Parts: sequence; C-alpha cells; structure tokens
Amino acid sequence: MSTSFINPTAGRPARRIVVVGLGNVLLGDDGFGPLAVEMFRSLYESDSKVEILDLGTPGLDLAPYLYDADLVVIADAVHPREEEKPGTLCIYRDGDLGREAQLRLTSHDPGVQESLAQLRLAGHAPSEVVVVGVVPESCAPGDRISLSVLNTCLVAVDTIARLLVERHIDCHRRHDPVQSSLWWFSGEYDRRVGFDS
Amino acid sequence: MARISIDPVTRIEGHLRIDVEVDGGKVQKAWASCTMWRGLEKILLGRDAREGWVFAQRFCGVCTTVHAIASVRAVEDALQLEIPANAQYIRNLILIAHALHDHIIHFYQLSSLDWVDIATIPKADPARAASIAEGYSSWPGNSRRELEAVQSKVKGMVDSGQLGIFSHGYWGHPAMRLSPELNLILFAHYLQALEFQRKACQIVGVLGGKTPHIQNLAVGGVMNAINLNSLATFNMDRLGMLQSLLEELIPFVQQAYFIDACLLSASYPEWFRYGRGVENYLAVPDLPRDAKATQFDLPGGLIMKGDLASVQPIQNWRDQAFRSAVAEDVTHAWYKGEGAQAPWKGKTDPDYTDFQADKKYTWVKAPRYNGQPIQVGPLANVVVGYASRHPLTRKWTDTAFRTISSVHDSGTPGFNLTPEELQSTMGRYLARAIRSAMLSDLALQHWQLLTDNILKGDDTTFNPPQFPSHECEGVGMHEAPRGALSHWVIIDKGTFTNYQAVVPTTWNASPRDAKGVPGPYETSLISNPVVDPVKPLEVLRTVHSFDPCMACACHTLDASGRVIARVKVL
Repeated sequence: MSTSFINPTAGRPARRIVVVGLGNVLLGDDGFGPLAVEMFRSLYESDSKVEILDLGTPGLDLAPYLYDADLVVIADAVHPREEEKPGTLCIYRDGDLGREAQLRLTSHDPGVQESLAQLRLAGHAPSEVVVVGVVPESCAPGDRISLSVLNTCLVAVDTIARLLVERHIDCHRRHDPVQSSLWWFSGEYDRRVGFDS
Repeated sequence: MARISIDPVTRIEGHLRIDVEVDGGKVQKAWASCTMWRGLEKILLGRDAREGWVFAQRFCGVCTTVHAIASVRAVEDALQLEIPANAQYIRNLILIAHALHDHIIHFYQLSSLDWVDIATIPKADPARAASIAEGYSSWPGNSRRELEAVQSKVKGMVDSGQLGIFSHGYWGHPAMRLSPELNLILFAHYLQALEFQRKACQIVGVLGGKTPHIQNLAVGGVMNAINLNSLATFNMDRLGMLQSLLEELIPFVQQAYFIDACLLSASYPEWFRYGRGVENYLAVPDLPRDAKATQFDLPGGLIMKGDLASVQPIQNWRDQAFRSAVAEDVTHAWYKGEGAQAPWKGKTDPDYTDFQADKKYTWVKAPRYNGQPIQVGPLANVVVGYASRHPLTRKWTDTAFRTISSVHDSGTPGFNLTPEELQSTMGRYLARAIRSAMLSDLALQHWQLLTDNILKGDDTTFNPPQFPSHECEGVGMHEAPRGALSHWVIIDKGTFTNYQAVVPTTWNASPRDAKGVPGPYETSLISNPVVDPVKPLEVLRTVHSFDPCMACACHTLDASGRVIARVKVL
C-alpha cells in the first residue's frame, strides 16, 4: 500500500457535501432530523454532489458518513444548555460544537462529537460542520411530530438550503415538489410501496 | 464495604447503570440497570406484517439491519414461506458486513482504551513497534512511517494538553500494562479502523440500496433485481465492486484486529480468570447455505453449566425446544406483573418505581431458557461452534491459541490457552475477534455462492407472501453481533397482533428473576478486582466485554425532554 492511512496523500474525492438527518422516527419529535432532510429532498433540488442521508441514531457508527466531507449539515433535535421553548430553531457551527466533550448538544451525543473528534485525529474530519437543530416538545414513542416542531421544520429546511447557497453549492426550490417518503407517518408508507394500488 | 454506582457507563450504545458492592478489592454483589424505557414493539401492533421490518430496523440506530432481517424471518416463519437462494446469500452478505463493522467499532472505539494507555505513546520507539508488529502480521499499516505519524499526532495532543475526547481516560491506572510500543500499535489501528468501517458500510449500501437503513428487504426475499445484461440492476459490476470491497476489508480484520486481540490476550493473562459469569450459552444457527435454510455456516446450540463436552444442537430455525424454552420474567423490571411469560404472550406495560435493589430496578426484562439465565454473544457463538467440532470455528480458535502462545513481546511469556478459559472477560474479546475472522472467510464463500448461483441462470429473489385468514405465529432468529436475537410475532389476517423482540443485550443485561438468580452482567462482575474504587476501570473492562447496546434492550431517551446527563466521554 503506497499511501499512509493517517496522513492520506491520495486525492480526496471532489467536493463532498452531506446533509444528515439524525433521530429516531419512532420517538415523536426525535424524528425531526429525518423529517427535515426528507422535506428538503422533496422541496429543493440540489447539486448531485449533495448526499442527503437519513442516518437515524447511529451513535459512533456516524463517523464513516462524515469521512472526508467538505461540508456536513446535521438536522437534529437538540437540548441546548440554556433552556429554550419547544420548536426553537438553534444553529450551531464548528466552534460552538466545541472540543469539550461534556457539552451535550443533541440527543444523539456522544455520537456526533466523538465521531468528529476521531475523524479529526485520523485526518479525515469534515472541513465544516453546521447543526440545524430544533428543541423538541415530546420524545415519547409514537410517530407524531408536535405542531411547534413541524412549523419550525419548514424554516429549518429553508435554512439548510441557504447554508448550501451561501457556500456556492447549487440549490434551488423545485417548481413541483417530488413525492416525499414519510413512511413512518401512518398511511404514508402504504402509498409509497404501492400496497394500496 | 464500598458501594460504587457507575451511571452512565460510557462508551456503550445507550444508557446503562452498574452498581457494585466492593470488599477487599473485589466485587461482592452487582446490579445492572437500564435507565431508559422499553416499548417500541407497541408501534408495530396493528401494522401490515409486510412492513414490520421497516419499523423494526428503527428500534436501534446501530443494529438496524439486524432487526430488519429478524423481522422478515419471523413473518416468513409464520407463513412457512421459503425464500430464494439468492435472497439468502444477499441477506447473509449484509449481515456479515454489518457484523464486521460492529465488531471493529467495539474492539477499537468502544473498548480498546480500557487496555491501551495512550499517555505512554510519546515514549514508544516507533522502529521497535514496527518490528514487533511486523513479527506477527503482514498488515501494511504497521510500517515505521505510519507509526511515527500516529505518535506525532498523539504527542501533539498530549503536549498541548488537548486530550479532547480522551481527557477522561484512566491514563496511568495501575491495571494498564501494555508497553508503549504495543499501545502505539493498537492506537494506530484504532485510527485506521475508521477507514475500514467505511468499507463495511459501503458493502451494506451496495446490497441494501442505502445504509444504515437498508431498503432492499421484503417478506419473501429481497428486492434486488438481478440481470447480468442490465446496467441498472444487480449485475457483474456490482458483484465485482463487492469483491473488491471485501478484499480491502478482510485483511484489516484478519491481520490487524485479530492479531491485536491475540496481543492483548497475551498481555493480560489474568483476565482469562475474571468475568466468567453465567455458564449457560445459547447460539442460534445462521448464514443459511440453501433456500430452504437446512444447512448453516454458523452452528446453533445450547451449552449448560459450562460443560463444553456436551452441546445440545439447535439444527434449524424451526427448533421446537427453543420455541417452548424462552420466557421473560418481569419480577425485577419496571413492568406490570410478576413472574415469566413466553414472548408470544408477553406484554410491555410500564410500572416505574425507582432503583430498588431488592425489588424493581431496571427497564430490561429477564429472559430465561427453561428457567435458566443464558449468556449470548460471540463467546457463545465460538464455544458452541468449538464444542460442535465446527471446522471453521476450530480453525480460527486454534490459530488464536497458537498466536497467543507464540507472543514474546508483551512483558509476559506466551501461554497455552484452552477453550475452557475462553469463559472470561478477555475470552469475550478474543471470541469476538475469532468470530470476525470466521465471518471474513464466510463473506468470500457467500459471495461465491451468490455469483455461482446467478451465473447458473437463477435470477429469482422474491417469493410473494400469502397471508392466511386465520391467526399464525412465527419466530425470526438471527445470530447478531451481540448474540442470539429473536423476534416473536403473532399475525392475524396480515397484521401484527403481538410483537416481542428478545434481544441479545436483554439476555446479557438481564436483572434477577423471580428466584433471585442474577443475569450474566451481574454474575460476571462477582470477584472482579477493583484496585481503586474511584476509578473502577476493571468493572468497565468486564461490562464492555459484552459490548452492551442498551438502545434496543430498552429504548428511548430522556423522559423529561431536557438535558439528560452530563455524559463522560472516554
């Protein structure tokens, strides 16, 4: 093997942009992340370099998906240090994420921060990370999203688009939204897989 | 008598609290408590049985594919529906790639820092470390240049005082004993492991359409369209891509991970004497080689009371003894009722009290097999295989034993290990590495089975399910990374009327039962040494050896919807 694992000299792939939804869709507002990225996919058309991933709650399994990315946008339910009202949109940038592990930002830490720290050490960290978070109302088992979180979700989706555009990544609102696959909401899944047709 | 409460135990998936009573430097009593509510199965009730797997794979964010496959197998069992051979091989390859990913993360990211003291790495001699590593393995990531690069990164981190995620480690603990060189080798592989996790994910993605949530399953088979003449389907290109990914991943498993587990074993011989725990082992058969699932590449069986000379085989997924033996006891768990019930009759109605060591103290139920606690996981997998004279299990177990006896750089001379001694804390680490080496061989075999079958002209991947108008029940088994998993379903006119998942961590993190008999975590901690009650590193070693994944043992986050805890990240 000619290249080193630790300080890779072989070319990184061309720009890699990853939009990630984190959260468990079976736990109410915890499903904000997957909902936001699915709505983003449905409402916006973006450059083919942009990967839109619903990653659920991967814990430390998150690292491979962020590997060598130029920009990572994470949509997730968050628990800010300062108490905020449910439905509040919270944006965190790299610096806010901090190198301090005690900081608990999202309900899926330590996965996010530990994965980023490991990638940093291995020389494969994403160049930029932005968290688009919303404060949940209830994370009890069930497939319902609270109205406050649902309303914020549309703002969050526009925010994701703006973050891409600001970085000169092609992204624009579709004239006709594509069908979203929000299978975890009752009834939607049947239509998606054609059970009803 | 000192009482230590570790809450939460870090570097595991999910929330776990361990309480131990220590006297004379040894644990006398232990309690395992899961602090999250369980009950996601309820979401499946009333749903179409064909879509159950889509929800089941969200039980846990880590073992996604595992629950998806157990779910479709449960429904297929209820319908007595055979699936095409191609579907078996495609599922098997997904399961293997996921398991390798999981075992690599466990060994390096989740547990190696219980044994590896990174604070000594600046003192290591990289040239000597390279020559030690190259003495055991041809892994290209062991070069002097590579190890120097890792050392300089760690030096930078230590010199600046920015240990970051590593700042809470038990550095300098007297129970840390590796030489600086071995610490450097293992930590280099810790960093390299990230790249190979990625390869494993890519394999799951090529087969499953997406990862971590696969899209290609169906009750009755898989939805991969096979057509060697079409660019858009599963074709020779995809098979070639899979082969190259496997050829990149497998050397890391067999030449880095497996060898590291042997070096660690050789360096900590006393850990083959601690952590034995419950001596009853269960493994379910997995990796079927035929459409009818009559032959399996991972044998199933039951071993009771640590008697490796007598194994009761579980020949296939329709094993009647297994179906009638499993029950879950809620006497000490935060659920309504007392005593044990078969999963098909199981209920999940919460009854939270608070931590009461003599009464109810956890969200995990206590599964029992004919009334006995059972240990599951790679160790059960390996001892059942070894006792069954399974050639592949013997090949890699014997290779591990030979390697350990040849080690001469660990500060302790190599020693001869026996299968009997695998029943221990370090035995669980070693068994996981043995299993990973076996799965690597099997990945290539199942790739070949799939390729040969397709080239023979078989392109079928799906047999459509037919639901009867009467009620039917089924069990879906899978020998998952953390051990025997079973999904138990009752279906009426195509929808679920009951759904219970008996997951590996539930077997292992089980609380006491109605008779007061503790579960495997609790039993394994008895007599575990604790040198410094403020830094109970030795307790973590034994708990981590099981690879706890509490997320599916009992689900959910904070009940209050607010800041949950200040998590110490090691």
